[in-house]
Amino acid sequence: MILLLASLLLAADRPVIDLSGGRVQAYPLAIAKPLGAQEIGTAVEAVLAQDFERSGLFKLLDPASFLASPEEGFLEVDFSKWQAVGAQALVKASCDVSGAEVKCDMRLYDASRGQELLHGTYTAPRQAPRLAAHRFGDDVVRFYTREPGVFQTRIAWVRETENGKQIVTADWDAFGAQALTTASINLLPAWSHDGSALAFTSFRDGGGAHVYAVEVATRQIRPLVMTGDFATGASWSPDGGRLVYSGSANDNTDVFLARADGGGAKRITDSRGIDISASWNPDGKRIAFVSERAGTPQIYVMNADGSGVRRLTFQGNYNQEPAWSPKGDLIAFSGRDEHRVFDLYTITVDGGRVTRLTQNQGTNEKPAWAPNGRYLLFSSTRSGKRQLWLSQPDGSNQRQITNEDLGASDPAWGPLPGK
Amino acid sequence: MSEGIHKSVLSLRSRTSASPALVLAVLFHATVFGAALILPRLFDHAPPLRTPIIAHMVALGRPRDPHLLPRKESPPPAASASAKTAPSLKPSPAPSRPEPSRRELMERALAHAAGKTTPEPREAPDPERAGSTTGSAEGTAATAEEGDAYFTAVHDAILENYVVPSVISERERLYLAASVVAFIGGDGRILKHEFQKKSGNTFFDQALETAIQKTKLPPPPADLARSLRDSGVVLNFRP
Repeated sequence: MILLLASLLLAADRPVIDLSGGRVQAYPLAIAKPLGAQEIGTAVEAVLAQDFERSGLFKLLDPASFLASPEEGFLEVDFSKWQAVGAQALVKASCDVSGAEVKCDMRLYDASRGQELLHGTYTAPRQAPRLAAHRFGDDVVRFYTREPGVFQTRIAWVRETENGKQIVTADWDAFGAQALTTASINLLPAWSHDGSALAFTSFRDGGGAHVYAVEVATRQIRPLVMTGDFATGASWSPDGGRLVYSGSANDNTDVFLARADGGGAKRITDSRGIDISASWNPDGKRIAFVSERAGTPQIYVMNADGSGVRRLTFQGNYNQEPAWSPKGDLIAFSGRDEHRVFDLYTITVDGGRVTRLTQNQGTNEKPAWAPNGRYLLFSSTRSGKRQLWLSQPDGSNQRQITNEDLGASDPAWGPLPGK
Repeated sequence: MSEGIHKSVLSLRSRTSASPALVLAVLFHATVFGAALILPRLFDHAPPLRTPIIAHMVALGRPRDPHLLPRKESPPPAASASAKTAPSLKPSPAPSRPEPSRRELMERALAHAAGKTTPEPREAPDPERAGSTTGSAEGTAATAEEGDAYFTAVHDAILENYVVPSVISERERLYLAASVVAFIGGDGRILKHEFQKKSGNTFFDQALETAIQKTKLPPPPADLARSLRDSGVVLNFRP
């Protein structure tokens, strides 16, 4: 009894140390050499490695350092050997061909505790085993982060060609790029909410830029907005029911709100300066846009009906291309600094705090958010021709995604699968 | 009936005569239990907060015009190797990596297993900053509170090994918090640790345990040694 009392009194007198600011480090992950069909396994392993590495979440351990037997199966995993090479997570797979399909048994382990965390069988067409890898990769990301992964999403961009600029779509890692347009100058692709179509600006009618839509599956193109001197920068609302774009008539450019098919347009800005580059917030109730109403291009926000306009940026004299984060808290934009170079920034919607993401690395423009808000795609000239680059929202883990011969620009990131 | 039977402990008279002692015993136990419950609360309202003062240092340099766009707070990320070996639009094999020799890889793995991994370099402290020779690289206060030197050393040593796994989402990091009591021996070894409060995220809690297990502390000063061994120190972790 006396001891109990004494220990309670001692506990009350404990000193306290507050610790914060631990280093955020990528999680060490090992991908064991897949068992089963070797060719399929190698392809799956390569896609998994690329997805995990580009995600910025994991630090891939070098397979050459592995101590475990390459033949080690699922049942007798010697976790001490995986711990010895620093693995905290371990991925094992076994793939086999079954008719026109590949079937992969894939598992995720906690190497430090010797526990199985995930286990699933993933099938894909024999020609595309990478789809199975993407699906398992997304499951791993969701398991750890409790947020959806983006490995199964699609992206679009503008490819520079000798015949103009064409709209291209591909997997999130730029694999399997296919052109949806073949002639003229086509710009500013924007995905529909279900990923079935892209709105884009085109000079294809020969009478100035206007807005069109292309069906991704059929490549069928239809006009959306053909009114005014020009119409550009269209974007469907998150629920797919409305379309916002910039239109010009009588030497004045404003933001217009229309039905999803482009009809019933209504002007929602009314300033003498140019109002362009509208971007929806995640719930479709607000819009960010660029306006010159104060003398220089700056980022503004307003309600979707045009009311409640508020200037957001006050630093710099040329801020453009706002992109509202799917998480709702940040707007990414490109801004020209005192060296007259465009770089990427984010600004908090509420507090107006500006964070710089790129610096001294060529021209960086046109940010586009991943649908889970974890990444930004943008165009950069840092490696020569303008190409697409991937970054995390704090500017870390920047990686080149495309390698187009003549250049790539205007990225757009499609929705999560199943939306 | 004999006298012996009248004085039996089973008789009513005998039980009645024993009740004062019983009441006293009950009262004593109740008092001790009450004290055990109440006294810690009386002492608990102001635990000695041995918190090294951490603040953001302002870098040396000219003040920036507030009308200009900001500079990056840290050096820009180097253009990654993939800039030169950008993936083609065809299926690509595993990402290219530098190829250390097998011996190097083995040595690296063994060093990691032995906990000898090189910690990431931290920025050098400002040489003109006022402080103490025993101060923290993260600290900004010019002078320390009495008795805080050892706790600053504890703070710095644990922080050196405190790694937050990147797989924990930014949103979740805002709310994570855990408290661990660490009992420190006279030689500075952490004798044991126990969670007072878990964060609810296995990977975060696991990272804290790893940090504590990896940490080597200096021996505590004589006036703290006993309390750190017997009652420990509370480590409040936030990402």
